[in-house]
Amino acid sequence: MTLISRRALGLFSAASIMALSAGAALAQDKVTIAVSIPAATHGWTGGVVYHAEQAEKEIEAAFPNIDVIVKTSPSATAQVSALEDLSASQKLDALVILPFTSEELTGPVEQVKANGTFIAVVARGLTDPSIQDLYVAGDNIAVGANTAKWMAEKLGNEGKIVVLRGIPTVIDDERIQGFTDVMKGTNIEILDIQYANWNQDEAFKLMQDYLAKYPQIDAVWANDDDMLLGVLEAVKQSGRTDIKYALGGNGMKDVVKMVMDENPMTPVSTPYPPSMVKSAIYMVAGQFNGQAPMRGSFKLDAPLITPQNADQFWYPDSPF
Amino acid sequence: MTSATSTRATPEPGRRIRWADMGPFLALALVIVIGTLINSNFVSGTNIANVVTRSAFIAIIAVGATFVISSGCLDLSVGSMMAFVTGIMILTMNRLEPSMGANAILVGAAVGLVVGAACGLLNGLIVTLGKIEPFIVTLGTMGIFRALITWLSDGGSIPIARELRDPYRPVYFGNLFGVPLPVVITLIVVLAGAFILYRTKYGRRCMAAGSNSDVARFSGVSVAWVRTLAYVIQGLCVAIAAICYIPRLGAATPTTGALWELQVITAVVIGGTLLRGGKARIWGTVAGALILEVIANLMVMSNFVSEYLVAAVQGVIIILAMLAHRFIR
Amino acid sequence: MTAPLPKTLTGDPAAPVALRAEGLGKAYGPITVLSDITLDIVAGEVHAIIGENGAGKSTLMKLLSAHVQPSLGHLSMAGQRVDFPDAVAAEEAGVVLVHQEILLAPDLTVAQNLYLGRELGGWLGVDDHRMDARTTEVLASIGAHCGPRDRVSDLPLAQRQLVQIARALLDDRKVVIFDEPTAVLANDEVAALLDVVRGLRDRGVAVLYISHRLDEVEALADRVTVLRDGRMIGTWAGHDLSQRQMAELMVGRELEMLYPPKRPPVTAAPILVVSDLEVDHGAVHAGLTLHPGEVLGIGGMIGSGRTELFEGLMGLRPAHAGRITMAGQDITRRSVRDWMAAGLVYLTEDRKGKGLLLDEPMARNLTLQALDNVHPGFVTKARNEMALLERSVAEYDIRVRSLGLEAGQLSGGNQQKLLLAKVMLVDPQVIIIDEPTRGIDIGNKSQIYDFIDSLVRAGKAVIVVSSELPELVGLSDRVLVMRMGRIVAELHGDRITEQNVVFAATSTEAGDQRETVANQTRQEEP
Repeated sequence: MTLISRRALGLFSAASIMALSAGAALAQDKVTIAVSIPAATHGWTGGVVYHAEQAEKEIEAAFPNIDVIVKTSPSATAQVSALEDLSASQKLDALVILPFTSEELTGPVEQVKANGTFIAVVARGLTDPSIQDLYVAGDNIAVGANTAKWMAEKLGNEGKIVVLRGIPTVIDDERIQGFTDVMKGTNIEILDIQYANWNQDEAFKLMQDYLAKYPQIDAVWANDDDMLLGVLEAVKQSGRTDIKYALGGNGMKDVVKMVMDENPMTPVSTPYPPSMVKSAIYMVAGQFNGQAPMRGSFKLDAPLITPQNADQFWYPDSPF
Repeated sequence: MTSATSTRATPEPGRRIRWADMGPFLALALVIVIGTLINSNFVSGTNIANVVTRSAFIAIIAVGATFVISSGCLDLSVGSMMAFVTGIMILTMNRLEPSMGANAILVGAAVGLVVGAACGLLNGLIVTLGKIEPFIVTLGTMGIFRALITWLSDGGSIPIARELRDPYRPVYFGNLFGVPLPVVITLIVVLAGAFILYRTKYGRRCMAAGSNSDVARFSGVSVAWVRTLAYVIQGLCVAIAAICYIPRLGAATPTTGALWELQVITAVVIGGTLLRGGKARIWGTVAGALILEVIANLMVMSNFVSEYLVAAVQGVIIILAMLAHRFIR
Repeated sequence: MTAPLPKTLTGDPAAPVALRAEGLGKAYGPITVLSDITLDIVAGEVHAIIGENGAGKSTLMKLLSAHVQPSLGHLSMAGQRVDFPDAVAAEEAGVVLVHQEILLAPDLTVAQNLYLGRELGGWLGVDDHRMDARTTEVLASIGAHCGPRDRVSDLPLAQRQLVQIARALLDDRKVVIFDEPTAVLANDEVAALLDVVRGLRDRGVAVLYISHRLDEVEALADRVTVLRDGRMIGTWAGHDLSQRQMAELMVGRELEMLYPPKRPPVTAAPILVVSDLEVDHGAVHAGLTLHPGEVLGIGGMIGSGRTELFEGLMGLRPAHAGRITMAGQDITRRSVRDWMAAGLVYLTEDRKGKGLLLDEPMARNLTLQALDNVHPGFVTKARNEMALLERSVAEYDIRVRSLGLEAGQLSGGNQQKLLLAKVMLVDPQVIIIDEPTRGIDIGNKSQIYDFIDSLVRAGKAVIVVSSELPELVGLSDRVLVMRMGRIVAELHGDRITEQNVVFAATSTEAGDQRETVANQTRQEEP
């Protein structure tokens, strides 16, 4: 498994555009790349849609022979139907998919592959990894673990913290697992972990309740930046001064901005950038136009976003 | 109480204590007692203030829903409508802020009320003129409003301009004589709702339409007009809730108000209003909204329930409350 | 009264009594619907029960078959007192009621219906073979032409009626009670059914036969018991009574006592003129005139379009009016509100479904229609309403123990008076009353008649739609008769008789009668 940092990937993308531009003149056959992603129902998926649409514009402008079709679906079943519609109406040279769930989408994707389509999977791997030609994903365990390491170090391995988790899914489980595994090796006590459904409102209420329940809280971790915004509002309202750190994750632009501004309560974040879908689309385009074979698994690291490097994670135009 | 109050001995049914009508308040008292036993922090001033303030949104919207439900209809679109109205208000305020400063908040709020009323009117007209089941109509508009806010926000969030945050913040976080402002606003809405429902001709006709629309029709009541107006009242209540909501987190997102319609309907029904219409209990509705919020609060405050089972326990408590309702009379 | 009445029958110690009622009575709360019924039902005889609507026939049957428990008295069989806790116990003892409505599961077969709830077979399976065999046997015994495996929904109505009877006769019965079994049947089917009844009698079964068709009773009954106003008038031998005598016994009272005296003929100009009103699925080409100071009766069979006509007129169902004028003004508008403003109100026949909010207190019902009159402002005042209610309760003699009762807790008569009080609050000039006394007792009836009379004498105009012929004849100054959505006859003065109404309502030749009425402005049908 190749482990490359996000920055390296960015460099690679830039390089590949130049390489592909050269090759574009050679291959004039029309190439169709279908992109199937979840609809924009909350912040992170909103970012996915934004980056996919950006990639579509940029690639179609750079390579007139490549046609990128972006299709969003509000549920796993809808995504299965979308796949059937896409592959029925035209020949797909490549499919870039961010599956709703691994289990439900594995079969349908396999069917698409049977027609000779190149398969690139983003974020959530299929149950049978042999189907995917290309796999680009973030590291959810690292998101939890890196945050936990930073927090434990700052707290001197002592203290009491509370955690807000999202919706019961693999992503949520992995982040929580990465976080708690690190914390087990410290003297930090996790007072409580409850679901807040990756929702600002619910995180606000849950944090209010945590504050009422526990007289001493040293730090908070919300495993998503949407929830972090609710947490911060609740802390601000309470006027409590015992909370030293409130951290999130995902690299939402508002939070990245806080990091850039050296906010004392939220000085770091961890990326799980929705732009990974854009990386994947570029890599697939390279596969067809640049004679740059792109197969294998690419796992994006989750390095800490700090005031020093925050500008690299700052996309002011993205909705996320 | 005193001899001075004794007037002619006309039999008044309202004077008897009806235990069935007391149900929601007894249930609320019971939940609070349990909460006190579980965790002493529960009765702390801050926690009580937090919980009551939070329940303001559901309570305000549920007052509107009490009108709609007692007139014999249903509105599933309130959660999405709330998100949509919130989005429109923030966009208006941000647009006007450079020229008007903090006054943009007032204009934005007025626009919100108009948009809310218009959304309600839309629901009402489709239901009454189109003669389509309210369930299906509002299921449709629920999707429409939700899609509109998602579209307006590009799936992300619509944050309020930084300059407006501080002047607007007191509407949620401020207080009047120590009572949080959202609670004050809720009280005003509830008093107005109770007045309209119990003391005006419109309220009377609203309940008649829900109790038996044929009887109402045969008595010269325009059922369509009554129901349309109930939806408009619902829209206004949603807009009022939105006005209180914005300063809390300062943004509208596609998940704003998600599933609130179910909480609202649950609050109304726990409060003793009949889902089939004809019987409305505004104060019961408020108790219902408080019960929901207190239970959610208790789930966090107690250590008995696994985080995985919280929803199940809430469901059981709601069903128990309704069963108690049924057997108490 | 024509011929002197024959002597009533009294207890015959020699007769083989299958079921005896001793002092049987039934009261619902304060209202006694049946009292002091003592009667013998003899094996091998057909015993007919006759009486007007509301005389207590249905209640008696339900008491005898234990569908309802008596408040007074008891039943006995073979000299022993019996107390059936429910209808199943009565059936086990051999007493069964054949309901008037057809209560069969349409998608099941005949045999499945017969054995529904008491299937033969082991602890798990069913023995279709045995059930089919017994079903065939029972069907044959009553001359039914269907087979055990026929689906009930495929059978004509008369055959379904026989299946229902067969279900009652599946086990051997001592007493079979028929509740108006011929109500849904055509003439030749009636004859066949009467043969079934005679067959039962000849097999030694005691048959109790309730009917309002006096010709059937005359043809069939060995004994006839007459009920009137919840009391038993007497039992006679069937061959002793003519149909005419039966009718006189059923009515019994002096009609002039019940109905107010007729008023002098009206001369005032019409207050309401309707022409060429078309009501969807209701009335065709309807027209009528109404004068102040008269009661206009509307007769016709159920389903002849009477109710539809007036609901259409009031804008309560889709209708297209040619022209409606009231007090000379053209007011061809259609909504109840507009009509109320013009002084026209309609009292529905469906008191519980369309007239009153049964779950709401009396005061709210009283003022619902007149909210704008009672509360001129925006706000309702409870004190005003209670004062109004007290006044109405006194004025309309609504008898309740508490003014806080809900409308649904009142008796039918009190509900009707409350409904009347409700529409009178808007101070109407024309009052249309659909079935003014349906299902209410005789005392309340006569009060309502007196009230209608006083309205008309005060110069208002009243339209009475009624299925009860004596009521129509007793109240009306003029009667219009409807048939199949059309107004087919108009009767005046001496021509207002039950016979003429029935003739016009049922006979296709009756259209001629209208030509005797020359002074009408109604439009003629083509």
